[in-house]
Amino acid sequence: MHPILAYRGRLGPYLAAWAPLAALLAGLLHIGGAPWVEAAVVALPLAVVYAFICLAAWYPCRSASLQRSSLAKVLTTQAAAAALSAILWLFLANTWVVFLEQFPAFAGVVRRFPDLVPVILAVAVVLYALAAALHYLLIAFEDAQRSERSALELEVHAREAELRSLRAQIDPHFLFNALNSISSLTGSDPAAARAMCLELAGFLRETLRLGGAASIPLAEEIALAERYLAVERARFGARLRVEREVTAEAGACEVPPLMLQPLVENAVKHGVAGLVDGGAVRIEARCGGGLLHLAVENPVDPSAPASPGEGVGLSNVRSRIAALHAREAQVEVKRVGGAFRVEVVMPASSPTRAAGPA
Amino acid sequence: MTGAAQPPTLNVAIVDDEEPARALLRQYLAAHPDVRVVAECANGFEAVRAVEEFAPDLLLLDVQMPGLSGFDVLELIGREVAVVFVTAYDRHALRAFEVHAVDFLLKPFPPERLAEALARVRRRLGQPREPGLDRAAAAARPPGVPVARLLVREGAKVHVIPAEALDVAEARDDYVCLRSGGREFLKQQTLAELEGWLDPARFVRVHRSFVVNVARVTRIERYSKDGRLAVLADGSKVPVSRTGLSRLRGVFERR
Repeated sequence: MHPILAYRGRLGPYLAAWAPLAALLAGLLHIGGAPWVEAAVVALPLAVVYAFICLAAWYPCRSASLQRSSLAKVLTTQAAAAALSAILWLFLANTWVVFLEQFPAFAGVVRRFPDLVPVILAVAVVLYALAAALHYLLIAFEDAQRSERSALELEVHAREAELRSLRAQIDPHFLFNALNSISSLTGSDPAAARAMCLELAGFLRETLRLGGAASIPLAEEIALAERYLAVERARFGARLRVEREVTAEAGACEVPPLMLQPLVENAVKHGVAGLVDGGAVRIEARCGGGLLHLAVENPVDPSAPASPGEGVGLSNVRSRIAALHAREAQVEVKRVGGAFRVEVVMPASSPTRAAGPA
Repeated sequence: MTGAAQPPTLNVAIVDDEEPARALLRQYLAAHPDVRVVAECANGFEAVRAVEEFAPDLLLLDVQMPGLSGFDVLELIGREVAVVFVTAYDRHALRAFEVHAVDFLLKPFPPERLAEALARVRRRLGQPREPGLDRAAAAARPPGVPVARLLVREGAKVHVIPAEALDVAEARDDYVCLRSGGREFLKQQTLAELEGWLDPARFVRVHRSFVVNVARVTRIERYSKDGRLAVLADGSKVPVSRTGLSRLRGVFERR
C-alpha cells in the first residue's frame, strides 16, 4: 500500500507542499534567463507532474529498503531512479516548451530552453532525493505502526489463550464425578440432586464470568472456591472439611480471577481425596505491610511419594502472578510432614487505590 | 416354562470412596434380583479385606481411591475375582483392558450399561479361566517407571513397603521374600518381574535368587575362588555371583 496514495487526506498536503517548490523552480528558471511569466507557466505544470513522478519513489524505496539492503544497493538504486526521473521530467519539460512555442506570448521559449536544462536536471535530482527521503520516512513510520499493532494483537491473542486455558482448567473429571453424584441423588434424594445441580451451575457460570475480568476481589474468588467445595462435599461427604481464615481487609483485595480456584482444586484432588480418612482444606488470607498473604493448605498421604513436578494448575498460578507483579510477588510451595501448603504473597491492592494515582 | 435353571446368585462387592457413587450402584443393582451386594468398601484396603472375608464373584471397582488404587487392589487379589472398573477417567481404559478387567464403566453411566457389564461377567464366569492371566496386572505396569512402593497381602491385611525401605528380595519357589527393616513379607511374584519393577540404579540382581538394595551393601567378602558375599548394613550376607558382581560394579561406577 502506497503510504500517500492509499490514504485519503495525505495527497492534498503532499501536493500543497509542492507549491513552494513550484515557486522555487519558477524563481530558478527566471534566474536561468526566462522572463517571470514564462518561468511560472513552465514551472507550474512541470512541478505538478513531477510531484506525481516522485510518488513513484515508493517503489525503489521499498525494493532498496534501508533495513534490509546494503548501502551500495540503496545508493545505486536511488541514483538510477533519480536519473530516470530527471530525464523523464526533462523530456516532458521539452515537450511542454515545444507546445508553448506555438503561442505568440511564449515565442523564443524553445531557443532559451537549453539554458534551463542544467537547472531542471539539478532541481529534478534534489527533489527526487527529498521525495525518496519522505518515502523512507513514511515507510519507517508505517512499519512502526504495524509492529505496534501486531504487538497489540499478540497481547489480545495471549489474553484469549490464557482465558481459554483457564476455562480448560475446569477438570472434566470433576464434572463427570459431580454428574455421577447427581445421577445417584436423583434416585435417593431428588431435593439434594436439585441443590447440587444448582450449585454446579452456579460454579460454572461464575467461573466463566470471573474468567473475563481483569481482577476481582478476593472475597468473590473465595465464594467461587466454596461453591466448588460444596459440589465436592457431596461426593466426599465428611471426608472433606473446609477451614477458612480470611480477614475482611484481605477479602477486599483485588486478585487475578481464578487464581485461588486451581489451588483449592489441587488441595482436594491431590490431598484430601488421597486420604482414607480425608482432611481439611484450609484457606488463609491476611494483609500486612502492603502485601496480601494467601495460603491454601491440605493434608497429604505421608507415605505417598512427592510428585516429581508441579501440576498445570500450580505452574499456571505461578506464571500469572509473576507476569502481573514480577519480583514483588512470590509463590512458595512447602511440604512439611503430612501437610502441603502453597503460599502466595503479592502486593495488596484495593480497587480504589489501584484506580487512584497512588 | 420348564423351570429353566435360575442363574446362580452373583455376589458383588462395591468399591468406591464416594458414598453417592456407591449408592448409585446399589440403586442400579436393586433391579437385578440375581445379584447380591455382599460388601461395600470405601477404599482399597477394605476391598482386599472384603475379598478375603466374603469371596465375592465380582468387584465393581473405582480406580482413583485413597491409599490403594483400583489397579493396586487388582494386583493384590490376583485373579480370584472378576473385576469391572467404574471410573470417571477414560485414560484408565487401556490399562483396564490390559489387566483383563471384564468391563469398564465410565461415570456417569445408565443402568443398562451396568446390566450389560453384569451379563458379560456371567459369560466370563461360565468360561474356564485362561491360564497365564494371573500376571496380567504386572504386565500392565507402565514400563520404565520404577514403582514407589510394594504391596503385599497377608490374608485380609495389606502391607505397603516403600521401595527404598526394601533391603533385599529373595526368590522362593512361586514367591519372593521381601526383607525390609528386619521383617519378611511373602509376595506371589517372580524375582525377575520384581526386578523389572524396581529402579535399576538402586536395585541389582546380584545372584540368581537375590535382588539387593545397593544402598544397603557395606562391603563385598570373598569366601572362595569365585564365591563372594555382599555384607549388608544389618550384618546379613547375600551371595553374589560373578555376573552379579560385575552388575554391582557397573552400578557403583555410574554413581
